[in-house]
Amino acid sequence: MASRVVVALRVKASPLRAFEAFTAEIGQWWKPNSLFAFTPRAPGVLSFDGHERLIETREGGKVFEVGRVSVWEPGVRLVLGWRQATFTPDMATEVEVTFEAVGEEETRVTVSHSGWDSVPTDHLAKHGFPETVFLARHGEWWRALLGAMREYLG
Amino acid sequence: MASHPALASAVVYKDPKAALKFLEAAFGFELTLLIEDADGNLAHSQMSYGDSIVMIGNEWTEEHRSPTSIGGLMTQTVHIQVPDGQGSVDDHCARARRAGAVIIAEPETQFYGDRTYRCKDPEGHIWTVSQTVEVMTPAEWDAKDMGLKTTVHKG
Repeated sequence: MASRVVVALRVKASPLRAFEAFTAEIGQWWKPNSLFAFTPRAPGVLSFDGHERLIETREGGKVFEVGRVSVWEPGVRLVLGWRQATFTPDMATEVEVTFEAVGEEETRVTVSHSGWDSVPTDHLAKHGFPETVFLARHGEWWRALLGAMREYLG
Repeated sequence: MASHPALASAVVYKDPKAALKFLEAAFGFELTLLIEDADGNLAHSQMSYGDSIVMIGNEWTEEHRSPTSIGGLMTQTVHIQVPDGQGSVDDHCARARRAGAVIIAEPETQFYGDRTYRCKDPEGHIWTVSQTVEVMTPAEWDAKDMGLKTTVHKG
C-alpha cells in the first residue's frame, strides 16, 4: 500500500504495556479530530472489539466499524483496516503499529498509515488538500495521538 | 523530544530513504515522521536526536541539491553535540565508520575542551561531531596561545 505517513515516538513502558495501552485502553487517550472524523455524526468512543476489530461507539450505542484486525501480536505488532463512513468499497487504508523495546521500560511505538492513494484527492475525506499536505496533516494528528498515549502512560 | 524546535536543518539527498537508514545506523538518529507519495517516494521526513530534529528531503527544486550532484560542494554542515551519558565521541565515530561514514578528521581533543571528529556521509555531506570533555572558560582557551580573543555577548 502506498501513500503513507509514518510517525514514531518513545513511551515510558514495556512493549507489552504499550500494546495494552494502545488496544485495551485506546478510549482513555484517543482524541477525535474534526478533520478526520470517522462518521459525519458527533464522534464517539473508540475501542477494540475483542481481537477482531476497531470500533467507534456513539452516544446512544450505534457502532461504526473502523476496521478489522489482521495481525494481533501483543507487544510486537498490530495491523488493522481503517475506513471512514464516506469511503466507497474500493477505498481502504491500513494502519500498522509496531512496538520495539529501546531500553529499560522504554518502547518505540511506530504507526504506519498507508493506502491513502485509494482515496481520490477530490474525496471529501481529503478536504481538498494535495496528497502530501493531507498526509502531513494526518501525521500531525497521529503525532498528537501518540503524544496523548505517552502522557497517559506517564 | 522536541517535535517542533525553533530551528532545524533540512538536509538534501538524492536518495533520502537510504539516508534515513544511514543516519540511524551511523549516528543513532530516530525517524519520527515520514511521508511517502503514491509511488512510494519520500516527500518529507524528520528524525530526532536528543532534543533536536533534522529534516531529510530530496532534491525537490532545481536549487536543492545533494553534494553528490554538485561536485561534492556544500554551503552548510550540520553539527552533532553528543549529549553527556550517551557514550563518547570515539564510540560515536566507530559506529559511524561501521555504518559507512568516511572519517575525514579522526577524533581529537581540541584546545577549547571538546573532543571532535568530522565525517562524510555516503552523499558527501560533512557532519561535525563533538562532546565537551573538559569544561573551560573563554579566558582559559584564549590563554592557549592560539591567537584568539574571545568575546562573549550576553543576550
